[in-house]
Amino acid sequence: MGRLVLRRLGATVPVLLLVTAGVFLLLHLTPGDPIDVMMAESVDATVKETLRRELGLDRPLHVQYAAWMGRLLRGDLGRSIRNGEPVIESVSRRLRPSLELALCAMAISLVIAFPLGIVSAIRRNTTIDRAGATFALFGICMPNFLLALLLIFLFGVTLRWLPISGYMDPLEEPWNGLRSLALPAVTLGLALAAVVTRTLRSSLLEALAEDYVRTARAKGLSEWRVIWTHVLKNALIPVVTVLGLQLGTLIGGAVITEYVFALPGVGRLVVDAVFARDYPLVQGVVLLIAIGFILSNLIVDVLYGWIDPRIRFR
Amino acid sequence: MLLAVLAALAAPLLAPYDPLAQNLGNALARPGWAHLLGTDNVGRDVLSRVIWGARVSLVAGLVSVALAVVAGSLLGILAGYCGGRVDGLVMRLMDAVLSFPPLVLALALGAVLGAGLGGVLVALGVVYTPTFARLMRGQVLSVTARDYVDAARALGAPAWRVAWRHVVPNAMNPIIVQASLSVAFAILAEASLSFLGLGIQPPQASWGSMINAGRGYLQQAPWIVFGPGAALFVTVVGLNFVGDAVRDALDPRIRG
Repeated sequence: MGRLVLRRLGATVPVLLLVTAGVFLLLHLTPGDPIDVMMAESVDATVKETLRRELGLDRPLHVQYAAWMGRLLRGDLGRSIRNGEPVIESVSRRLRPSLELALCAMAISLVIAFPLGIVSAIRRNTTIDRAGATFALFGICMPNFLLALLLIFLFGVTLRWLPISGYMDPLEEPWNGLRSLALPAVTLGLALAAVVTRTLRSSLLEALAEDYVRTARAKGLSEWRVIWTHVLKNALIPVVTVLGLQLGTLIGGAVITEYVFALPGVGRLVVDAVFARDYPLVQGVVLLIAIGFILSNLIVDVLYGWIDPRIRFR
Repeated sequence: MLLAVLAALAAPLLAPYDPLAQNLGNALARPGWAHLLGTDNVGRDVLSRVIWGARVSLVAGLVSVALAVVAGSLLGILAGYCGGRVDGLVMRLMDAVLSFPPLVLALALGAVLGAGLGGVLVALGVVYTPTFARLMRGQVLSVTARDYVDAARALGAPAWRVAWRHVVPNAMNPIIVQASLSVAFAILAEASLSFLGLGIQPPQASWGSMINAGRGYLQQAPWIVFGPGAALFVTVVGLNFVGDAVRDALDPRIRG
């Protein structure tokens, strides 16, 4: 297992280096002078020159990159040009709502997808199976922002059961906190549930056709025991793969969900930074999100080895 | 799906009103015979804007995927054909692009390239390129190991001719399947970016930006959101079916 982790970590290092280079070059992709893009025309030329020096834009590109990497390795991701706050502080302040949203969405998706996927596979070609397939198609094709607005219209505007925006920390005010996260988490969770339901159904059907399942049935085990003890663990590998692949979609969905429901998370921070043309903040947050994404994929890779011992020895 | 294509092609003929014409005296009018999907907050006909918005969505979906197919295929051929260091460099570059969540990368690129359809097309093209590069590289590695490629080389055909005449045509099927499946997601991504304000800029009509503009009127005039929302959803469902049909027709494992 340790060797698997080391191998995966080794493969991650060059990718991380290229990611940092890409994020660094982001600022330089701006058509024209990035300082002019970031600051209004009316801003004094000396202020612009100061910012140019602060960001090191008056130096050659390779010197800028070396200095930027040096700061990065010391944990300095730069500062917002709007309020001067270090990027790392902005992100850490907004991490909790994003993580709570992701956890709630993940929980909702698994609560929906597991029973639906299992029942769809066992009762293949029945009404339940068709309902599951329709739900999966709906979830995959429905854009996050549209689902969010439908939920707001139904549960916020028409029924007035749940708040339509804002955030309260569930760790401080459990009831109101969970209410404030309910609609965003359902928005994000349903799309994930759709993909997991579809994958779980097809991988269960594949596993159900294996010889060891016939043996288990021949031994006289009940259908639920066959599923629970023999089929489910083998059918989980594609589900973990899909969960790993969906992480990117989940993060993208979180950006939109946080924007629609005015949740003060990291996704909302990216959108705000983009519209404020605060490029150092965009660079810092995008880099942190990419590193988080790479590490999450690393965890998923290691998880394969835990679920399926055969992978460890490949 | 066919309706969306028809709307995109014949928007000037099908749209009952000018999609940009404002009529403040008739703002937030309910759906009725005069305006089948109602009007928005400045009195523009929602149906006409939905019809014109189909053009933006389909162009965004098709052009961004076409850019990704061309760039990804060229990089994949380069990596698969050259091998060695070139292969390593190209594939690590693609891994780096894949290390960003797609929407976050598109958002960051859209931010530096500027709001508007051009920026969105390039951003989405970059986001989808690695998928096609990986696919093409795998196909090139498999096709170049075939006997007819060896035969062409033995006959003295130059490398570019072998690649163009023998490798690429035999490697294209999975690319076409992936492209047909990607168009739906590219349309969703464009709508998401327009919803966030990075795509087509007002007053031009795009489904994402129309939904964003309508969310402030959800209580008084939900039709501003639900008209373009339904068009977007139905188009994406239709494209998913088209993608599945193309896969069924071209994938030899499914075709049996």
